[in-house]
Amino acid sequence: MKQIFNFCAVAVFVFTMFCSCAGNPPKDERDLAEKAFADAEPGKDCAKEDYLAAEDILNQAREAVNKKEYDKARELFKMVKEKSDAIVKYYRENPDKCMPGNDKKADADGEGKIKEEETPEAAANPAEDPKNPEMEFPTVHFEYNEYAILADDMPKVDLMAQWMVNFPERVVRIEGHADERGSVDYNLSLGEKRAAEVKNKLIQAGIDSARIKIVSYGEERPIDPASNEEAWFKNRRAEFKREN
Amino acid sequence: MSVHFRLIAALTVFLASMNLFAQLQVEVKDGSVADYNMAVSPLAVLDGTDAELAADIVSSVEKVFDITGFFNVLNQKSFLEKPEVPMDKVDFKLWRNVAANGLVKGTIKGKDEIVLDLAFYDVNGGNKVFGKTYKSTKAGDAKKSAYRFAAEVIKILTKEEMNFMFSKIAFVEKKGESYSLVVTNFDGSGRKVLVGPSSATILLPEWSADGSKIYYTSHKNNNPNLFVVDLATTRIKTVSSYEGLNVSATAHPDNKTVSLCLSKDGNSEIYSLDTATNELKRLTKDVGTDTAPSVSPDGSEIVFVSNRSGNPQIYRMSLTDLSKVERLTEQGNYNQDPEYSPDGKKVAFSGRDEKYQFDIFVIDLASKQISRITQNQGKNESPTFSPDSKLIGFSSNRNGKNKLFLSNVSGTKQIAVYSGEGEVLMPSWSPAENN
Repeated sequence: MKQIFNFCAVAVFVFTMFCSCAGNPPKDERDLAEKAFADAEPGKDCAKEDYLAAEDILNQAREAVNKKEYDKARELFKMVKEKSDAIVKYYRENPDKCMPGNDKKADADGEGKIKEEETPEAAANPAEDPKNPEMEFPTVHFEYNEYAILADDMPKVDLMAQWMVNFPERVVRIEGHADERGSVDYNLSLGEKRAAEVKNKLIQAGIDSARIKIVSYGEERPIDPASNEEAWFKNRRAEFKREN
Repeated sequence: MSVHFRLIAALTVFLASMNLFAQLQVEVKDGSVADYNMAVSPLAVLDGTDAELAADIVSSVEKVFDITGFFNVLNQKSFLEKPEVPMDKVDFKLWRNVAANGLVKGTIKGKDEIVLDLAFYDVNGGNKVFGKTYKSTKAGDAKKSAYRFAAEVIKILTKEEMNFMFSKIAFVEKKGESYSLVVTNFDGSGRKVLVGPSSATILLPEWSADGSKIYYTSHKNNNPNLFVVDLATTRIKTVSSYEGLNVSATAHPDNKTVSLCLSKDGNSEIYSLDTATNELKRLTKDVGTDTAPSVSPDGSEIVFVSNRSGNPQIYRMSLTDLSKVERLTEQGNYNQDPEYSPDGKKVAFSGRDEKYQFDIFVIDLASKQISRITQNQGKNESPTFSPDSKLIGFSSNRNGKNKLFLSNVSGTKQIAVYSGEGEVLMPSWSPAENN
């Protein structure tokens, strides 16, 4: 009996070792690669060869995941990401060739980062015009375990304040959110602090506090359910909602 | 039978158990999984009784032995002796041959009145140590009898008094965006949905001291308000709906006070609320976040999380003198989820380690020693003690999704106990039921 037990223990050990070598599916790498490849789409004509190559490698990587060859898949996904980023860089630097008539957009984005809710022609876009009653409300982001508004996002709060000045009958709800790391209790408090911080900034800009409600959802309402830095960044946020 | 003979029999049992205890004690102290091999023979089904019930009783007893971490429960397939062998004709040689140290064996009969006859044998000594006959009219009661028997055996062998078998666990079950408040038996069986499924959140369930109600927070009115649901009627009442947070309720032993975190005064602070009079008393006052209170079993103090030092740490505070505050955790920069043990001796919490992963730890309040329960097994959060303080339930994503796990307090035995589809979050262990 004991021998059987020992044998089992060894088997489990060996199995565990094997597993740690083979690892888990490369989810983060895959997400990054798929996203980078999607972003490279505007370059599919002007950087055709590179684009087709990236597509080919991506298909190989997906195939490797299906065959559970995770290490191989991980490397391939990384290659896809590199190739795709290069395509993005190329079409941004060569807007005439790749995106005739849309060169401003390419310049504004810079560094391969894709903006989520804004198109760069802010002033021209009625969705971001504070004189528009139907203006699309921005989302404000935060650092991990912090509730200070990121400097880059301060103009969003100013935009919101302007809109509230323009529409004095409107009441707004600020929803504070945290990323998944940390306890539910603590993240509810953190989300509350984030929402309160944005509220304070609006009050400092002259908005009546009675027109601003806040609610924290803690980690319960992620925008992106993935467990990686990119998702966490998106999820640490304050959103504005119309109360009336 | 003479008194004399009974005395000798009792003495024999006593000596046998002393002997076994001595044999086990070293290993228990050691904190490692014991080398004591326990065989639980299938029951001999004599007449009328459902064979399924007989099998369920055996596997339930096995599960109880297993989770304590004191025993290796042997696989029935290896057994050489048939269950039908009469209880006074046990061939101990056959049990020694399968390396058993202890044997549980019994019979079950009857349908309207179920008679369960169980005995525990010391295989090494070749004698019966303890036996009992239980009569019941319901299958559920027969199973409880088997639990009582298992608790007796554990007590004989280890001196530990355990009653976790007579308790339930509440938790949040999350499927996609849908929340349910679920209650199961300690072993994950007997799932019952108390609240939900709902798209509004259901968070941080916590039992009332008498085990008749569960407090929880929900955003169903677009604010995180505190509710209470009655287990018998499933009726829901609002307990606290101040603007802002009404979260992290912990129930006091007086069965009417709850301490909770409110943000109505502009910052997360801890208050105690008399649910009978709605009288509110503020307990903390700090610019930092104070949250996640857990009240001591005598109601004299709370442990809670505060980031007053810069990052979340565990503190304890006297409720009779609010100026008496002591920081309990010094290691690590993210400690959270504190939970008092029902014996008042320990506090479990989850802390982030050097690999930025959350694990379960236990502080011994007398010595301030901190022991680690989980390591290198995914994210482990929301610890909750069994009513006898012998086991810790928690949520772990070691196998992918967050699931309910139980561990003994030394962390040497950890098992998953609930196989439902969704994620299992924020478990809360009930007080012990009458058994």
